[in-house]
Amino acid sequence: MKRIHIKTCVGAALMSLFLVGCSDLLNETPRSSFTPEYFKTQPGVMGGLTYMYSHLRGIYGQAYYYNSCETGTDESTYGQSADGNFKDFDLTGVGSMTSNNFPMTVLWNATFPNINTANGVIEYGTTSGVSDALLSEARFFRAFDYFLLVQTFGGVPLDLGAGELKFNTSTSRVSKRNTVPEVYTKAIFPDMLLAIKNLPDAGRVTGGATKTLARLYLAKAYLTYGWWLQNPKNIPTYPTCDRTDPDGHNAAWYFQKAYDYAVEGIQNAGGNFALQSTFYDVNVGTNDRNKEILLYADHTQTSELYNGGTSLTGFGSGAAPDNFAGWMQNWSYTAITSSKTNWSSPSLVSSVQREAAQALGRPWTRMAPPINVINNTFADKSNDSRYDGTFTTVYRGNWAKGGVTNATLYNANGMQVANGDAILSFLGSEPAQPIDYSNSVYKSSIGAGVLPGRADFVLPPSGISRRVFPGLWKLGPYRTDNGVGLGSPNAGSTRPYNIAKFSELFFIAAEAAVKGATTKAITGTYANDGSAYSLINILRARAGKWKFSNANNATLVADNSATLVAATPTTITLDYILAERSREYYGEGYRWYDLVRTQTWADYAKTYQICGNNYGDHTPVTYTRTIPDNYYLRPIPQGQLDGLEMTADEKKAYQNPAYQQ
Amino acid sequence: MCNSILIKLCKLLILISNYLIMKQTISCLRAPGILFLLLLFSISVFGQTITVKGTVKDATNATLPGVNVRMHGSSTGTITDIDGKFSLQVPSNAKLEFSFVGYASQVINVAGKSTINVTLAEDTKALSEVVVVGYGTQRREAVTGSVASMNGDKLRDVPAANISRALQGRIAGVEMSQTDSKPGSGMQIRIRGTRSLNATNDPLVVLDGIPFSGSIGDIDPNTIKSVDILKDASATAIYGSRGANGVILVTTSKGSKGQSAQFSYNGYFGVKTAIKFPMMNGSEFAAMRKMTTYANTLDEADDVNTDWQDLLFRTGVVQNHNLNLSGGTDKGNYNFGASYFRDQAVIPLQYYNRYSIHSSLDQEVGKLIKVGFTTNSIYSENHGNNLGSGGALGASPIANPYNADGTWKTIIQQQTSGSQWVFTRHALESLGEQYVDLTRGFSSYNSAYGEVKIPGVEGLKARVNVGADYIQSNYGNYTGVGVFSGSVTNPSTASIRNSHTLKWTVENLLTFDRTFNKLHRVNAVAMYSAEKSTYWTSNTTAKNIPADAFQFYNIGQCNSADITINPANQNYIESGLTSAMGRVMYSFNDRYMLSATVRTDGSSRLAPGHKWHTYPAISAGWNMKDEAFMQSVTFIDRLKLRAGYGETSNQSVDPYKTLGLLATSPYNFGDNTYATGYYVSQLPNPKLGWEFSRTWNFGMDFTLLKSRLTGTVEYYVQNTDNVLLSVSLPPTSGANSYMANIGATQNKGLEVSLNGVVLDNVNGWTWEVGLNVYTNKNKLTKLASGAQQDLGNGWFVGHAVNVIYDYKKLGLWNTTDPDFKYLQTLQPGGNAGMIKVLYTGEYNADGSPKRAIGPDDRQILDCDPDFQGGFNTRVAYKNFDLSLVGSFVSGGILNSTLYGGTGYLNNMNTRATNNVKVDYWTPTNTGAKYPKPAGLQSGDNPMYATTLGYFSASYLKVRTITLGYNFNQKWLQSAGISKMRIYATVENPFVLFSPYHNESGMDPEPNSFGDQNVAVAGAHSRLIVGTNTPSTHNYLIGLNVTF
Repeated sequence: MKRIHIKTCVGAALMSLFLVGCSDLLNETPRSSFTPEYFKTQPGVMGGLTYMYSHLRGIYGQAYYYNSCETGTDESTYGQSADGNFKDFDLTGVGSMTSNNFPMTVLWNATFPNINTANGVIEYGTTSGVSDALLSEARFFRAFDYFLLVQTFGGVPLDLGAGELKFNTSTSRVSKRNTVPEVYTKAIFPDMLLAIKNLPDAGRVTGGATKTLARLYLAKAYLTYGWWLQNPKNIPTYPTCDRTDPDGHNAAWYFQKAYDYAVEGIQNAGGNFALQSTFYDVNVGTNDRNKEILLYADHTQTSELYNGGTSLTGFGSGAAPDNFAGWMQNWSYTAITSSKTNWSSPSLVSSVQREAAQALGRPWTRMAPPINVINNTFADKSNDSRYDGTFTTVYRGNWAKGGVTNATLYNANGMQVANGDAILSFLGSEPAQPIDYSNSVYKSSIGAGVLPGRADFVLPPSGISRRVFPGLWKLGPYRTDNGVGLGSPNAGSTRPYNIAKFSELFFIAAEAAVKGATTKAITGTYANDGSAYSLINILRARAGKWKFSNANNATLVADNSATLVAATPTTITLDYILAERSREYYGEGYRWYDLVRTQTWADYAKTYQICGNNYGDHTPVTYTRTIPDNYYLRPIPQGQLDGLEMTADEKKAYQNPAYQQ
Repeated sequence: MCNSILIKLCKLLILISNYLIMKQTISCLRAPGILFLLLLFSISVFGQTITVKGTVKDATNATLPGVNVRMHGSSTGTITDIDGKFSLQVPSNAKLEFSFVGYASQVINVAGKSTINVTLAEDTKALSEVVVVGYGTQRREAVTGSVASMNGDKLRDVPAANISRALQGRIAGVEMSQTDSKPGSGMQIRIRGTRSLNATNDPLVVLDGIPFSGSIGDIDPNTIKSVDILKDASATAIYGSRGANGVILVTTSKGSKGQSAQFSYNGYFGVKTAIKFPMMNGSEFAAMRKMTTYANTLDEADDVNTDWQDLLFRTGVVQNHNLNLSGGTDKGNYNFGASYFRDQAVIPLQYYNRYSIHSSLDQEVGKLIKVGFTTNSIYSENHGNNLGSGGALGASPIANPYNADGTWKTIIQQQTSGSQWVFTRHALESLGEQYVDLTRGFSSYNSAYGEVKIPGVEGLKARVNVGADYIQSNYGNYTGVGVFSGSVTNPSTASIRNSHTLKWTVENLLTFDRTFNKLHRVNAVAMYSAEKSTYWTSNTTAKNIPADAFQFYNIGQCNSADITINPANQNYIESGLTSAMGRVMYSFNDRYMLSATVRTDGSSRLAPGHKWHTYPAISAGWNMKDEAFMQSVTFIDRLKLRAGYGETSNQSVDPYKTLGLLATSPYNFGDNTYATGYYVSQLPNPKLGWEFSRTWNFGMDFTLLKSRLTGTVEYYVQNTDNVLLSVSLPPTSGANSYMANIGATQNKGLEVSLNGVVLDNVNGWTWEVGLNVYTNKNKLTKLASGAQQDLGNGWFVGHAVNVIYDYKKLGLWNTTDPDFKYLQTLQPGGNAGMIKVLYTGEYNADGSPKRAIGPDDRQILDCDPDFQGGFNTRVAYKNFDLSLVGSFVSGGILNSTLYGGTGYLNNMNTRATNNVKVDYWTPTNTGAKYPKPAGLQSGDNPMYATTLGYFSASYLKVRTITLGYNFNQKWLQSAGISKMRIYATVENPFVLFSPYHNESGMDPEPNSFGDQNVAVAGAHSRLIVGTNTPSTHNYLIGLNVTF
């Protein structure tokens, strides 16, 4: 017995000495995360591709980047609660554009990791035999990111440290910017062409990249590059280079290609993509992911994790990957008051409460529409459905959902209103009668006025201020889990953020035509003679069709197509296209790029009118923006410069000229 | 496979603790040969008039060689030879002083005698000063490295739940910084500064000889016998890479041999009151709001004044009880103890409970074998850790929490943030089952050893140490419908997180400890060790829990769509280290000491080909006072000089850093098709190797004026090379960062510790004073590729690692400023009353600035203090004693995010939350410190708001004042009580010389990491003041009884 015990122990001791030396002790096997080697497998490639889509959330729906696309254009200015991020971009002397402006960091920091992941997927996937269709998704997104970058910053590096368009696993901290033509001709065009060749007609996944999508982007890239080569306003580029095409083509050639690919996109969409029958249908939350949308940064209310991580019910983070762009140009409508009791001894109550509804949502009052948008861009508010399909112009009572039990409340003129009735209306035009802004008896609490006989408070276009303005209905939240209450209005929007639309193919073809491309008859669903006039009229005809009125919160079936088409000028100009684009895509983040591409930013955004920051400010003030030519390129973010291991002079030269100190 | 066998083996080894293992071990060891170092010293002998001879013996009648025999008041002297004999020529009327380390000195009148035989008695006080040096102990006199010690009783002068809190400000060169003010939270410990930039700077904790895998906060201070801190490389070298940042050796109490059983109780009870944050009251806030464009909500009125802090904070309670039993037999000893600690924070529902038991046993088996074990088991509960002060600080002071009928509101409307849950004591205490946030931790730290004396070789022992630790943490959170939310229908959420750490260590040791001829002491150790640590954690979250009663206990009852297992929150980390070490300590006559160490480490964390590193350390000491020429310097009792050089390494990067990393990015394709994306977040580095430091240490220990003043002065220079860095890459590299060996740092420092006895029992009065002052100059000496600065990471060659790179605030812009006409050039959109920062650009000929203020104007602001330290004093009269422990810091920057831009509590625009009470600019108050409300902003904050958070970090703080009474009345003995003491303590009574305290009334110590308790997270490594659980004044009473 004792002997056995001794032997066991001796054996154990010997083993301990042996095993302690076991080389396994110094080897590593990760068991909870992947290394870059994973991209050599098919599931790894799929994971890389999923990231290509999810990286869109870092850009689209990210409100600060969104702000950079709108504030400072004719579409938006800063709102009363605007922080420096917004004021800096307004260019009216309330801030300044520097390399420290956060919004540009958003784009820069979201794109390069994706470009490198795309490089890895393409490089590893090619050697391990992954299909061309899959790899073309990576090609599409690589080109997509480079296209965004080149429009925003000018030339950007194609070599991340391992060679041009190569997967970088080196730890290089130097960087050299390529020129604009290099970025287009070496990266964007070849990738897009391959993508068009290899991508499927219908997406591999819901919202997946398709031939039509790649055609839209190639057409737009050709159009943009055509403008760049032509450079009619002599806007400087950077890094400095000649405006000659390495591939030997001229601007006209690219305008023609833009036209051709856009038309090809329109004609070959098949059953996969189509215009919606009304403008309302394009943007209403119930119809998200409709056939008009070619690309979106998707979101969901069904899973917090897959939606990106922050609370679906509490306060959204106010950071990517949340979709929170819609909070910015939304004002604090909850300040509107009605009274529970007769106005002779009022008991104020918030009659429009914060609700997760498309017309309402979370208000940050960071951006506001200038009065010019209401009066000029959307001059026709009755025939053209796009004003009604863009803005919340009537704020309706929802106090019952917020737990206030009164069946009716006292509102303007002492009239009683019920839940669902209009509490505040933004008028489409200046009323003939004078508005009583006194708020002496009927306290709107927001400085809104009273018109005789109306139960709702009112504000005319001239009363639009940085603080009180029509909200942006398009980007409002839509959820199905509100029950009978107000829902979760503070979470990030669970709607997909739309990035690219089928309708834009018409605009691109029309713009290319205006720039001199030879037109040709278009066949199929959208058959027409292919002229700019006909292409634009397809969208204007659609804009005349109504099925629902947001202002009335009621069905409204009408067809004003003929009226709208009749109003279209027979000669389409660039100005007309830009005006139409704004009506179609107002507040969606297109504007800065449209104005920069067409070199019209300084002209279009030069001045705007809006009332002040305070309730009761009803006097429009004209503001003037200073937009130097070299602001057409945005500053390279300071974080990039700080992260580089280069001399001060080299870093200075890396920055765009307007922001070199 | 290797793994599971090893784990089984560990268990086996712990169970067995059988001497046979030891026998076997010896034959298997691949130890380096034991080195004998012999040094020869010349001994000079002086003589005069008559010759006195004699023999010196100890109490056991053994002869003592090496005893100093010296003519009193002169330098004439000699030492005894191998047989304890001496011979000395002295005047016949001389006095001879006999002194020897560890023995009480004797002075004898020669009085013409030619033979004087002396018996020296052991000096128990001197002998008790044994210092733990790692793999052995050394008498204080023989130590050659830099070792600071504190015994358990002294440590407990500061009643604290945590050793590091008790040590704060008490040991030179050891900086303990508060990182969190919540109950049960730990401290950041830095021994001689920061050397690594991204690798850990935390020291190694060794509990009873085995490297400790838990947090130092897991060790019950009641059980501590001593804490020894190894500060320099020659002392830490034996711990190799793990000791690169210093080593804290914690020794727990054991019974002593032959001691009769002793039973003791130690306990205290106290209350804590919150030190409130300096927020505006209602009228102050309303006045500021008038200067902005924000209007009151329906819940706000200018005449309301709600102090939300008063409505939230409660009186906290802290208590600690410890029972201990120890004793010994003639062949062994034992110690058993149990403790209970509870700390109830001033924030309702927030508390920390700790139950711990420990036991240890040493037993000799026969003549050659000794076995023993120590085990510490701890169960803790930490509740309400996700609660803070933020809800109360942010709440609008003009919002009324009561309805018209006097009942509580559950929700109030605030400005831009909308509906807010009313965060009060009443609301929290009413939650009941609707809220739980509980971490239940269990940890078990076990070590066992067996030791055998090798027969035939005197002093040679073989030993095996086996350590096995298991730590588990179980976290559960439940928040009911509408709780903490502005929406009453906000869904309930629950989450669980389980983590486990399993760690084993095996050490095989051969030690040789022998004194030759009573003069040459040799202690040699050879060791071969291996350790492995495995950590894994899992996490699940869910929402819409079907019933409050379920809390987090059955997440499976939720709809599957409501359950989330996020891949980013599951983790597995494994690392291994294997090492061999040899050390020789030699001392001649306790006068000349030498210690030499070689260690080699292999780490799994580093890249193949770079896994191994070998490094030496050597140090020497000289007890100078024993030299004949020093004998005449009578005011010096002891004087020792020390010098050491050593290298250490640091492998403390997270495992898998050499391989690169893909981060996950979940996505939905359509409303309910889910997929997980992957992208490169960290690049691989196949060359990642060791970071290593070379340290020189020079020290002097002295005892003066008949032991009335003792002290230590040390100077060190530590150069660290191949510093492990997580290098931030420019975004264009496609990845965020990679880990690399880049750069070099240097730490230079001076440390002074003094302890004095001012009054030594004068009319019953005793007064002792202690002081330590230290300074550490930290500097980055090199960065990658010769760069002088790395702006992305905020590193600058020639500056400390801990710097802030930001604008330098000069004051506020005023219309009377001579350069006000350039305001719009320097600051487009700027206004009078906004923050004015330093412009460093060029000027045009007309004196106007050439450009606007921009990133190039940022400055390097050094955050490290100039010097810091601590002091203590104790006055005793008869049975009473009054003691005081304090600490101080001079210079450096304290970053208070309450005042700065990231806390959102000093927005100066009343947009949502309350504002810190500040003196702000108005047209009639142009000399204010804070800018004009609603002036030019950057983000939601005033432009350059971060500069408002920087305060001088200087302070002098009394941490504790304790008044105690020791009973020694007769009745005690008849009651069987051998010792009894009661005491009352005030903690945190006051702060002096702190600009931050003067302005805010707050504690001048940080309370959060840079990414916690703020609205906008900053760098984790920078400690800040945030909206954490407030600091408190504590009032305790305690009782110690020993039977």
